[in-house]
Amino acid sequence: MPTTAASNRPEDLTARLSEVGGVGKGEALLKVLREVKNQIIGNKTKKLRYLHLGAVPKIVSVLAAVASDGGDSAIIVQAAAVIGSFSCGVEDGVRAVVEAGAVPHLIRILSYPDEKVIDAGARSLRMIFQSKLAPKYDVLQNKNMMFLLSLLNSNNENAIELAVRIIAHSCDKNEEQNALCDAGVLQRLVHLLEGSLNQRDASLGSIVAIVKNNREVAMAFASIENGKALSALTELIHDRYPRTRYLACMCLIAIGQLSCYAQDLQTKTNLMLVLVELLEDSSHVGDDSPFALLDIITDKEELQLQAIVINVVEKLCNYLEKSPIPPRRLQGILLALAELCSKSEICRCQLISPQFLNTIVDALKHVSAGVRIAACTCIRNISRSVKNLCAGRLSNEAVIIPLFQLLNDPSTSVQEASLGAICNVAIDFTAKKSALVKYGGVPLLVQLSKSIVPTLRLKSLCALRNLMFISDRIGKENIISELTIPELASLICDSEHLVQEQAMALVSNLIHGCVDFIRLVFAEDGLIINAVIRQLKSDYSTQVCIQGMLLLCNVAAGDESHKEAVLSYLIPSKAEGCSSLIVSFLQSKDQFLRTAAVWCILNLTDPAGINSPVRVGRLVQEGGILLQIKTMVNDPWLDCKYRVRKVLEQCMITQNTKCEALMSCS
Amino acid sequence: MPVRVVEGSAPSQRSGQDASNGRVLPPYSLLSVGRAFAGTQNVSSLQKDEAWRVNVRIQGCDLDNGYLCGTMEALNVPLADTPVVTFWEGELIDAKNYTFYTGKWEATPDDDIRHWSKFPSFGPLLSQVEADGGKSLDLSNYPFVFMRWKEQYFVNVGIDCGLTIAGFYYVCFSCSDGSINGFYYDPNSSPFQKLELKSANEGLSGFTFSSYQLQ
Repeated sequence: MPTTAASNRPEDLTARLSEVGGVGKGEALLKVLREVKNQIIGNKTKKLRYLHLGAVPKIVSVLAAVASDGGDSAIIVQAAAVIGSFSCGVEDGVRAVVEAGAVPHLIRILSYPDEKVIDAGARSLRMIFQSKLAPKYDVLQNKNMMFLLSLLNSNNENAIELAVRIIAHSCDKNEEQNALCDAGVLQRLVHLLEGSLNQRDASLGSIVAIVKNNREVAMAFASIENGKALSALTELIHDRYPRTRYLACMCLIAIGQLSCYAQDLQTKTNLMLVLVELLEDSSHVGDDSPFALLDIITDKEELQLQAIVINVVEKLCNYLEKSPIPPRRLQGILLALAELCSKSEICRCQLISPQFLNTIVDALKHVSAGVRIAACTCIRNISRSVKNLCAGRLSNEAVIIPLFQLLNDPSTSVQEASLGAICNVAIDFTAKKSALVKYGGVPLLVQLSKSIVPTLRLKSLCALRNLMFISDRIGKENIISELTIPELASLICDSEHLVQEQAMALVSNLIHGCVDFIRLVFAEDGLIINAVIRQLKSDYSTQVCIQGMLLLCNVAAGDESHKEAVLSYLIPSKAEGCSSLIVSFLQSKDQFLRTAAVWCILNLTDPAGINSPVRVGRLVQEGGILLQIKTMVNDPWLDCKYRVRKVLEQCMITQNTKCEALMSCS
Repeated sequence: MPVRVVEGSAPSQRSGQDASNGRVLPPYSLLSVGRAFAGTQNVSSLQKDEAWRVNVRIQGCDLDNGYLCGTMEALNVPLADTPVVTFWEGELIDAKNYTFYTGKWEATPDDDIRHWSKFPSFGPLLSQVEADGGKSLDLSNYPFVFMRWKEQYFVNVGIDCGLTIAGFYYVCFSCSDGSINGFYYDPNSSPFQKLELKSANEGLSGFTFSSYQLQ
């Protein structure tokens, strides 16, 4: 007699997962599980649908119930397979599986007597442990380590691969690396390099995890079979499979970064060449390879030069010409280029050609924040070249406008990166600084100098300081009118020492070469000079004190009134009863602070000044400053010694002139 | 400073280092970025006596890498409508990055010794330089700094201005007073053209300092 066919709609199947849970309904349950499995295999939409319906916890419950009472193996196999399928390619699926507590149950069935169950459990767990969402497996627990070794040494391919993936996923601490190394895992992994493609790639990933940042383990690896393991890796960087090549590179990079095993230049050269070739791979390998290249060259000037010799810059630049480039790959290429031109002028010259610079500038407008940051970093490093800055090659609207637009970026990290580049291009060495000012840079930078984010304050102020460097009168007036005296005084007293330094350096640049601006230091009841003196008296940062003394030195290069004012600040009146500020600086252990203090005295004792004899007299009598200066005549710091001698020479001239004047009067 | 002979030249291989390492003061404060110098370059020939006024400004300073750079402005260049500004890069003779022997720019060791010997302050170093190029000398506390300055490009005029920057300068800086003396070397120009510069205070009654910081 015909009956109504059971519906295979996800809603119905999910509902039946609960209903058919009873004893004696095994066949029906198996059917439902099989149907769910068939529906979700390779079908992301279906997986998400079942996830939404809450099917995963129900299947995990089935697995737990059947496995705990030694139930039907076929049901366990099907439940494990469905769980594995949910964990394949869908991160939400892994999350649901992990949250439903599937992992301990799946691990338990690996001890089942039935090989099919073990295989299904291992397959399912293997899927889960490919994801970062998988729980960490504590290899330091003895029973876990034993279990892991038993999997690793089993004959089941899925179990072996599972063990390797668990290691790659769970090993990140030094003691875990040591424990796995001591248990002989590295030897087993090296042996597995000769296995199937999956095993080989998984083993390479695990070797990276065990060796990374661990000197002892790296040494142990390098000595396996008298270096045969290393030789195997070196061969694998030329394997036919891109992912294998990439993973072998990662292993060699992890080992080569440790001082115990210095790879020769040829090996590193090969690594760089392979990684650049891998850019052509359309999978994740191509996305990750520039980051691996970045790992090799970061802070390694010799390798950066080698990379230039083997045309890495040219190859990366040529790749940039392709379109479209996946965002992560583009980010990696730009960061690698940025690193390559962090010190090398040759690389900067290559990138500054319009052909490549335009591509980098275009990346400033990319939808990905990571790409925008990488492009800013690239431009920042290209613009470290004074030679190019002086030629005005970067201070044009094509570069500056997009950089300024990023100052309004919703991401603070992008703003910071943009400011880093702007800081450098602000130094264009031409007095007019036209491009940056023309496009409204000053108000934007001033606005950011008031940010509550310290790094934004610091970098925007640095950009303004650089903009002020050898600027013309109009440029300086423009900056100071926008920034205002009270704001500048407030920045001199900022909570961050580095901001204080930048603010003082900005004032020094304002005064440099233009006596008229010295009055601004005393404007509005001496807001700036009082702020500087307050910092000098209270600050324990030597760098701030040096910058402060150079500022006072610049003020002391002004007219007589300016010199008198500086002297009055440096030598307190007897009524104040405190010790002279400058004597402590002259006695400093820091040679630059001593030198800055002597420079200030040097300007105060300039014999050309009408009141110079009076000032020299005060330096002798009131502050004991000249006495201190005399003790420094053989200062170990050459620069300081010469300034001290010049001060003494000037004082002698002044005093002799005074004596002659007195004698002629009498 | 440019002269009136046309000749090509190869740029320095170590050009354009990071020219501001964030230090507030370099070891030689009179040789810091922003400092200006003023003086003359004697360009006399057999036909006539001639000297051009010259201004120099230090634009970059990375002493760890023996690198210095700046601009040089020649003010009364005949046939030039405006002062001619060039950008130069300097190599500091520090026995670490660079030695007294140039090894390029058509300068032989004999040319080097003949030019360096023009500076009285080089006298005490001569025998050691002849022995090993001065590699074993500790110049960190020597009161003079020796350099080579090589002009790299014209800043404000085109390369077709009829002037050349093919040669380079042997330079000696005095740490005590900040004065700079130099001799221009170009096999195709008048020999030993003397450059004399003094530290300039740009209208102020004392020394001032300015700086920038590269990121």
